[in-house]
Amino acid sequence: MTSQPAVNVRDISMVFNAEKSGQVDALRDVDVTVDSGEFVSLIGPSGCGKSTLLRLIANLIEPTAGTVEVNGKSAKQACADQDYGMAFQQSGLFDWRSVAKNIELPLELKGWDKAKRAARSQEMLDLVKLPDRGAHMPWQLSGGQQQRIAIARALASHPPLLLMDEPFGALDEMTREHMQSELLQICEVTNTTVVFVTHSIPEAVYLSDRVVVMSAGPGRITDVIDVGLGKNRDEGTREGDSFYKKITEVREALRGAELGDGARGIEDR
Amino acid sequence: MSTAIRQFVRAAWPPLAFGVGFLALWELLVRGFDIQPFVLPAPTAIWSAFTVRLTEVFEQTLVTGTNALVGLLIGTFMGVLMSLITVRFRLLEELITPLAVALNAVPIVVIVPVLNNMLFGTTSQIPRRLMVALIVFFVVFVNVSKGLRQVSTTHLELMRSYAASASAILLKVRVPNALGYLFTALRISAPLAVITAFVAEYFGGVQNGLATGVRSSLNGSKDVTWAYVIGASALGLTFYMISVALERLQRGKQPADKFT
Repeated sequence: MTSQPAVNVRDISMVFNAEKSGQVDALRDVDVTVDSGEFVSLIGPSGCGKSTLLRLIANLIEPTAGTVEVNGKSAKQACADQDYGMAFQQSGLFDWRSVAKNIELPLELKGWDKAKRAARSQEMLDLVKLPDRGAHMPWQLSGGQQQRIAIARALASHPPLLLMDEPFGALDEMTREHMQSELLQICEVTNTTVVFVTHSIPEAVYLSDRVVVMSAGPGRITDVIDVGLGKNRDEGTREGDSFYKKITEVREALRGAELGDGARGIEDR
Repeated sequence: MSTAIRQFVRAAWPPLAFGVGFLALWELLVRGFDIQPFVLPAPTAIWSAFTVRLTEVFEQTLVTGTNALVGLLIGTFMGVLMSLITVRFRLLEELITPLAVALNAVPIVVIVPVLNNMLFGTTSQIPRRLMVALIVFFVVFVNVSKGLRQVSTTHLELMRSYAASASAILLKVRVPNALGYLFTALRISAPLAVITAFVAEYFGGVQNGLATGVRSSLNGSKDVTWAYVIGASALGLTFYMISVALERLQRGKQPADKFT
């Protein structure tokens, strides 16, 4: 493994509508480093720029100032090389493609041949524990299953990095906890680095090695909390004292960051 | 099997009963009040006029139907082509869209006599087909353009995260997304094509087609006129049912709640 970080964000500023009256400081002077194999969550109230930060790493938008490096390359080069996969709150599956064909989409764009694609999509279906759903159409699956397929698609080309924007935000609580455990297992097996945007404190604590706490106006990082719950987390982890202590710590960090503004948009579940 | 038949009967009997009842009432009124055939002929009289002139009505239906079909195909082709071009090249969009809207604002059928006199002479079916094509073009162009543009932001961000080219996004996201819109446009424009072909015949040109049949029979007994109306209705229904069947076929691959 290389010693360079998976994600290296330096002095990023992002201003929307720069020359107009409605100027928005989405991010100001943000530095983040994510090491290879690490799981890092970005948490903060609405408008703190956590999704913007994720999109900058993904090269979907370009920063006003500063640099983004992914695996030692520019964000643009990393995008062209498909060094990362993405998953969003909406599963974003294509209704006109079967489940298997959805997973194969990034491979198609990379120019893989048919047999290789089919083999890989079956491998991914096994990974997300839906081995016999390949021929189904997306709308025949439940919300949680759709999100699993979206994760399978994001990981189809075996990228070293996974960028996720509130992927479980639309799921019910039970499904959500189940998906969190599944995600940890998948990342363990595939040794994937994850940057994960959420506004659920327990979700951030349960999943992450580190939680990056952000605040709005202008969007900035106010705290970085080491979770230190170890690598093998299971349902028992959710009931341990250290889990609750960390939740309290993240909550207080969010409150501190939002003094006088209230921690709006933060879920306490 | 027997339940399927029973279900069909249960669904079919109300409109059937209504239709038969309506025709019976019509027949009764015409006979009872002794209404003259040049005012309103009885259904039985219309039916016998229709069966007597079956080949003639069929021939004229074929003329109008061919005009409608040719116009429909050309208009659909042009509509799809133009919407693909405008979604791919921004500059052309700003050029073509206002032009298409302006074209649609012109009461198009009145151009038929102009075209007849100016370009094609009165022996050509081309002006009629052009009219149909223009009407269909607009419906298809507007709907397919919308389908090409209204793609979900998640899909677009996903494709851009794959570093997909604009052509790849067009082919893998925009075109499949627009397919449903195309078939909806066809369902709207197929009956419209028949109506336009029919109306265009009123504005001179070759002495054939259903509308010409209607017009030339207006002076005599109306049962002949109504025979042509039967032909026109059958033609419109055929076009509509084919387009609905096509849409169903395409919709079979989509979730049911996407179209209502």
